Amino acid sequence: MLKFWLSLGTQSFGGGTATLALIRREVVDRNKWMDDSEFVKDWALCQISPGINLLGMTILLGRRLGGTPGIAIALFGLLFPSTVITVVITAFYAHFKDLATVRAALHGVIPATVGLGLLTAFKMVWPLLQTSKREGGGPLAFACALAVGAGLAVAAANAPVVLVLCAAGGLGALFWHAWSKKHSPDGRTP
Amino acid sequence: MSLFVYFWLLLKACLFSTGGFGNVPSLHSDLLARGWANEQEFGEALSVGQVSPGPNGLWVISLGYLMAGVGGAMLALVAIILPPLLVLVVERFYRRIQHHPAVEGFMRGLSLAVVGIFVVVMLRLLHGIGLEAKSVLITLASIGLGITGRVPVIIILALAAAGGLLLF
Repeated sequence: MLKFWLSLGTQSFGGGTATLALIRREVVDRNKWMDDSEFVKDWALCQISPGINLLGMTILLGRRLGGTPGIAIALFGLLFPSTVITVVITAFYAHFKDLATVRAALHGVIPATVGLGLLTAFKMVWPLLQTSKREGGGPLAFACALAVGAGLAVAAANAPVVLVLCAAGGLGALFWHAWSKKHSPDGRTP
Repeated sequence: MSLFVYFWLLLKACLFSTGGFGNVPSLHSDLLARGWANEQEFGEALSVGQVSPGPNGLWVISLGYLMAGVGGAMLALVAIILPPLLVLVVERFYRRIQHHPAVEGFMRGLSLAVVGIFVVVMLRLLHGIGLEAKSVLITLASIGLGITGRVPVIIILALAAAGGLLLF
């Protein structure tokens, strides 16, 4: 089992999306340890848990395959090679960062990282907006206002990030609680 | 720089966020305010996180190394391992309360705000390396390649590095 996680930790170059795809192929398609619906359910739970989703997924899979020791083996196997490689790349870069060629290459890589980051942001926000759109114009407008408002609060007013996040969560709870009361099938106002 | 405060800031950022990049906004504001990291190092660490294997969230390890060497990287590793363990607790409770509208609403509000702030951080990164047409061009090109979903991230970044060598 250690070999399994070690190989995942070494192979999955190219970030989280690549790693998740690789895990799904191994766990669902190859070894049939779980089916697609179980996999998706676990993944959904990881989305709402704190921290890196993929580590949450690794923890749930590790436990499924081998109990508490399974969790330790899975985390170690996935993180040991990838952490070492991350540190080596960073150290290599830090050592050569003053070379003009390295600087020029990085000057190209950072805008690309920004581009991919914006794409990730779009992929994160799209399902949220779709859900809101199905609920109607009001919730959709509210969802857009929350995202834009949080960005502006930080960009223009320099508001503390944790505060903005908590406030947005609180507003979301209030809004959708009230909204669902109004629109629940057994509610008084249809 | 106090290692204890450093560790706490990392842990806090991971605890109050979800996803590998969810911690970017709070780390960005906390570490820059203290002068422990700069815009440039953020961009570098995020880039390394995209290139290296494993979850994107390992970018924090790269940032830790840039800030405080191997020790900083190891503390960062511990800070990113601990919060996801809470998934075991979440799993137990969530099955009971998941359909309460206030819980759903809280998660949605939180996620929306994370995205909004994330976009701001990305734009600041771009601004941090000196906003010019060539950089924006690379950003747009990488969005174009990324949107197809067919080109591996590592190839996009390699092309961007080549573009950087040509343009800068």
